[in-house]
Amino acid sequence: MGRELKKGTKGPNSKYITRTKAIRKLQISLNDFRRLCILKGIVPREPPSRKKANHGNTAPTSFYHVKDITYLAHEPIIAKLREHKIFLRRMSRAMGKQEWGRAKALEESRPRYTLDHIVKERYPTFIDALRDIDDALCCVVLGASLSQHRRIPKADLDDCARLAAEWQLYVTHTRSLRKSFLSIKGVYYQAEVQGENVTWVEPYQFLQKIPMDVDFRVMRSFLEFYKTLLGFVFYKLYTDAGLVYPPPLDVKKEAAGSGVDAYRLQPVGGAPVDQEETKTTGKKKVELGGGKVLTGRQVQKAIVSMEVDGEETEEVEGNPKDVAAPLATAKAVPTSTQALDTDTLPSTEEFIAQPSKTDPSTSSTLLTLHALANLPNSNTKLFEPYVFFVSRESPRHILEFVIRSFGGVVGWPASCGGGSPIESEDDERVTHVIIDRPLPEGGVLSEGRRRRKYVQPQWVVDSVNAGKVLLEDAYAQGRTLPPHLSPFGAEGEGAYDPLAPVPGMEEALREVDEEMEDDEEDSEDDDDMEMEEEKEEEKTKKRHRRGKKAAASAVNVSNPTDADAVRKAELEAERLGIEPAEFDKVLEKAAKNKNRDVEEEEGDDEDDEEPKKIETTKGASEENMAKMLLSSKKRKLYNLMKRTNARKEEEKVKLQKKKIEIAKQKKKSGR
Amino acid sequence: MAPKLPASSKGFQRPAKRKAESEPEAGRVEPSEEWTGFGGEGEGIEMASDEEDTGESAESSDVEEFPEIEAASSEEGGEDEDTSEAGSEEEDISAEDEEEEDGESAQEEDEIEPPPGDSALMGEGLKWDRKPGSYPDPKVIKSSITGEGKKVYPPIEPEYDSDSSTEDDPNRVGRIPMHWYDDLPHIGYDINGKRILRPAKGDELDKFLAAVEDPTSWLSGFDHTSQKDTQLTEEELDLIRRLQDAEVPDASYNPYEDTVEWFTGEGKQEIMPLTARPEPKSRWQPSKWEKQKILKIVRLIRAGHIVPNKPKAKQPQWYSLWSTEAETSRPPPLVAPKVPLPKHAESYNPPEEYLPDQDEIDKYEDLSDDEKVKKYLPKKYDALRHVPAYEHFIHERQNRLLDLYLAPRIRRVKLHINPDSMLPSLPSPQSLRPFPVFEALKMSGGGGSRARCVSVSPDGVWTVSGDEDGVVRLRETFVGREAARWKLGKRIGAVEWCPRKDVSYFLVGIEDEIFAFMPPHLSPAMESATLDVLVPRSPPPPIGEDGEKPVKWSQESLSFKQSASTFSSPLLVVTLPPTAGLPKQITFHRRGDYFATVSSAEGHNAIWIHQASKRHSQSPFKKIKGSIQRVLFHPNKPHFFVATQRYVSIYDLSAQKLLKTLYTGSRWISSMDIHPTGDHLIVGGYDKKLMWFDLDLGNKPYKVLRYHTKAIRSVAFSPNYPLFASSSDDGTIQIFHARVYSDLMTDALIVPLKVLRGHVVLEGLGVMELKWTTGLGTCWLVSAGADGEVRVWCN
Repeated sequence: MGRELKKGTKGPNSKYITRTKAIRKLQISLNDFRRLCILKGIVPREPPSRKKANHGNTAPTSFYHVKDITYLAHEPIIAKLREHKIFLRRMSRAMGKQEWGRAKALEESRPRYTLDHIVKERYPTFIDALRDIDDALCCVVLGASLSQHRRIPKADLDDCARLAAEWQLYVTHTRSLRKSFLSIKGVYYQAEVQGENVTWVEPYQFLQKIPMDVDFRVMRSFLEFYKTLLGFVFYKLYTDAGLVYPPPLDVKKEAAGSGVDAYRLQPVGGAPVDQEETKTTGKKKVELGGGKVLTGRQVQKAIVSMEVDGEETEEVEGNPKDVAAPLATAKAVPTSTQALDTDTLPSTEEFIAQPSKTDPSTSSTLLTLHALANLPNSNTKLFEPYVFFVSRESPRHILEFVIRSFGGVVGWPASCGGGSPIESEDDERVTHVIIDRPLPEGGVLSEGRRRRKYVQPQWVVDSVNAGKVLLEDAYAQGRTLPPHLSPFGAEGEGAYDPLAPVPGMEEALREVDEEMEDDEEDSEDDDDMEMEEEKEEEKTKKRHRRGKKAAASAVNVSNPTDADAVRKAELEAERLGIEPAEFDKVLEKAAKNKNRDVEEEEGDDEDDEEPKKIETTKGASEENMAKMLLSSKKRKLYNLMKRTNARKEEEKVKLQKKKIEIAKQKKKSGR
Repeated sequence: MAPKLPASSKGFQRPAKRKAESEPEAGRVEPSEEWTGFGGEGEGIEMASDEEDTGESAESSDVEEFPEIEAASSEEGGEDEDTSEAGSEEEDISAEDEEEEDGESAQEEDEIEPPPGDSALMGEGLKWDRKPGSYPDPKVIKSSITGEGKKVYPPIEPEYDSDSSTEDDPNRVGRIPMHWYDDLPHIGYDINGKRILRPAKGDELDKFLAAVEDPTSWLSGFDHTSQKDTQLTEEELDLIRRLQDAEVPDASYNPYEDTVEWFTGEGKQEIMPLTARPEPKSRWQPSKWEKQKILKIVRLIRAGHIVPNKPKAKQPQWYSLWSTEAETSRPPPLVAPKVPLPKHAESYNPPEEYLPDQDEIDKYEDLSDDEKVKKYLPKKYDALRHVPAYEHFIHERQNRLLDLYLAPRIRRVKLHINPDSMLPSLPSPQSLRPFPVFEALKMSGGGGSRARCVSVSPDGVWTVSGDEDGVVRLRETFVGREAARWKLGKRIGAVEWCPRKDVSYFLVGIEDEIFAFMPPHLSPAMESATLDVLVPRSPPPPIGEDGEKPVKWSQESLSFKQSASTFSSPLLVVTLPPTAGLPKQITFHRRGDYFATVSSAEGHNAIWIHQASKRHSQSPFKKIKGSIQRVLFHPNKPHFFVATQRYVSIYDLSAQKLLKTLYTGSRWISSMDIHPTGDHLIVGGYDKKLMWFDLDLGNKPYKVLRYHTKAIRSVAFSPNYPLFASSSDDGTIQIFHARVYSDLMTDALIVPLKVLRGHVVLEGLGVMELKWTTGLGTCWLVSAGADGEVRVWCN
């Protein structure tokens, strides 16, 4: 017999403690605990049984795992936090006693901590970090858009702005932007960096109204961590791209309001890159010590020749050795800071699958880099041939970023900030002007206006999402824009797709057509009557139309071949004063329509509907039978899934119906 | 006088004494008859009165002005020589002491010469002036030995130095309750042990006269110690007045005294340092060890090991963090799920079908903020420049951050399956034929009263049904022709056909009685065999003792047997005890000799087991808990199933013990049937459940099926096909395929096959009972409904 265990000391539920206990164990304040949890990424855990974990108490509390708390207890930052507390106390005492010298000395030796090790712990590899920077980017971008606030230090906002600009610069430089979406919440961007999709949202540039109930302490704790994380991630990204991080800031340009351009990309060990040059020339040139200029192609060739040398085939074009010699010195210099030039890839880099002779069925073909680069929607040179000018009412920061990420050159008026490569709209090079104004009334198109395209901002984003340059006409200035769709796809499989054809749309339109035809015919008849009796105008016309309608409807509703119904309709027509000839006409038409309907119905009935109905009822009953045999848990799950699917389907059908309605109305009003 | 003042309270004394130290004795001029001369009290009173008198007597006011001198002079003049001597001596000692001494000398009246023995002891014959409450100062005399001056302290005199304020009270009994002396002529003892006689106490008239005569009588109070009225002194009256006015009781206390400057002002500054000790060496000489340490640092600085004010080596803020391996082996925290990506509806220019119509907008606006699943409504803007800032942007970001650190992270497997794939794959019903699929016959029973019960003859030819009007109908199963009818006039609870093949009769249960009937048109051999069973020529001898038996068996007379109407009246009647009530169920043992009846009564009368051949009935249970719903004989073992409201108990009849109790989980069992192999049991409940028990497995159901929408009324296994059926109050009959395997490893296969509809639900009752036919190679089903119809369902 062992000693009797105390209740609640064993089992899975004993491994969880409440937050209060955790705080007591760590001997820190609640605020410090929160901060620590945010920094270390410790989140509450859900115990198997809340009641057991809290010793029978069912009050709502959050639980932490004991191991998590022990892990926190070993965090060196806790000691720093305590030191900081002491520092604050000493500082306040020194300030209170007006001992300025002492305060200064204290301030100089103020305890500081870094979060480097936490970044490393939370993200053991770079790719882990890269996968998780979405939130960090969103946070930083939001911070960059905030104006000053008393609860957020200016330094934080500046850091946010810097990081946001650095990220934008990197994405532009590597042309890794893939998708963009103008939503009512802000602009969504998706970039593909090292094979990972990074999505972030940027608010429209307005003065953000900061609500009262925002917990800035939490925000700042997160921001503190995100700043460190992004710093290291950017360092790695920039270094991998052969750039210096952090990019130096051009103060003059910043003062001029050139935005992202104020930061200059600088290759490692080289002079700052002029972005405009690289963009306009397109190809990368490497300058060597001897004043020789090498193109990317030459470098490639040199590499190939070096490889070939080893295999003793000296048959190479040109003089590769001359190139290779200085290349040895140039190796340290990064060769390409651009996106991969797929055109220049030599054929030797092609992987050729060698199928097995014994087992020809298993042919494993891997995706090669070449193939990957040629995938659709990775057309990063979309706007390379074009030069854009963003007029002042269009959002420059959005368009500048998107267009540059796809190789275009952007200019803007001086009122939007300095540093524009193109001074004015009338520049010869400008091919597209992005304008968000209605057409001026009675304006005369100038010569320049005719030569270049005037498009609305949505055209840029839609082109990017489509992966091709769309026709500008639909997006021309003053035109009603086509709907802007999300590039991130619909809500899931089987959800409503606005581009897909809607079943029943054609029929509905045809119906509308027919109705219109009828109306037209009616109006023609009216015209005839008017010709005959010009004086009796509106009253009779109205009456007649009404009468005909009534007759037609009466006949339509009942069977036109049914004698009773016809008789009734005739009487009605007579009462309204309709000519018998006219009535016959209407009747004929009604009969025709009816016949067609009947035919259709019959066809449907015979072919599809009846067996379908039977099948559905049969299927339903069988399904119900089988459902009986499920356990109650599974049956609940089954019912839930069925319900969810039904709800989705219902939403889809609702949208489809709406679409048909809208199309019908448009058609009606269009005529 | 109401307040009785304690004659010798210390509360009065203390302030008075203090006063006495600094003020001269002015009270002395006052005539005080009451003066008793004992210590503190006298003093206190006198001192207090001194203040009182300042305004009254010029003499005393003079005294006030120059207290020291006046007091000293007056005392010196007025008192004996001792004090004058003391005063002169004091002057000799020092100028500083003078003030105090003079103050002290005010108490000369108290001074008593030290006894000669004492002075002899001191040897010097010195005299000290004593003040009560303070110790006299020492006197400096020249030592005879050293020739130096030395201080001589006065001897301690207990009389004066101890606080014995009550010592001079004439009555020395102390502070005891004085009523102890109430019956005695005296009131205590004086210091010499002599009795102090009680002072004379006049009668009320005397008192009155005294009060009238004595103008000060209102100032007097009764003193318990002396047992007589004592007049309050002026001081005491003043004290009372002060207490009433909430003033400081001590008259001498001045709350607004002038500040006395001790250390400030001309000539009063303290001369520092206070001590004349020479400065320690460490104050002005540099430390050797410090010097050594400093030298060491200097040496290090010179050597360049220490660089003063060196800027801290700046580590680069950013570096290649991931170039080294991670230090901790702890797995990184779970990555939070990403925010769902925006859909078409979020576009600033969505397709028009996404825009809400007026109804949807109203509905959305009616919702509270918490109820809103989405914080926005799709909206269309005709140009990008018209798009405003999104008002919830910061909130959404904050909520995301809160989620990131407050929400527990659980990895959940999301099912991306077609829900239909969860359904078990069952064999097609077509492959499990035959089973009843359609209604072949409908036999309505004229009156429209409910058909309660139905039974089919073992050869399948006859169907007998009983309805609530008390009519038993015998019909041909194949054609539905009614062959015979018995009107019994009472409610019929159950009918059951005897399973024996060689005889043909059935039992009908009505109130308290069970009738046995024989169908018509039997072959002669069978008829005679049946009659032998029901109406034997020689009835079997009664079993057991001859006493009155609760169940009576009676049969028709033999002569009646020969008549043509053999079947028109019951051939055998079993009369149950009168309290038994309506037999709800009759069930035969497989052999057909034993049958059991379940009555609606509570207690042991509910179940009776009858033996037809021996005309014997017995109640197997003396005491039964709960109401019995159904009973059953095991097909091939001597086991007996009893279904109470919630449980099914299995008894061994031969061993007479309980084998097992099955926990059905149903709240009210309605019906029960056993599989022909005897290994499986189905139980139907009024709570719509059907429980399948594998009797080898345990006491919990192997499967619980819930598919009827109303209470289950009847369940039945097909005797020769792997089928079972259940009927319910929802008017349906459901047919199941139930294949059981002989090996114990394979579970029974249950496949729902068919729902038979046809019976009409009347007053919430549907199909009351169903029975399978046997013997014809068919699997037909006969059902009796609450609509009064009996239907036959064919395959």
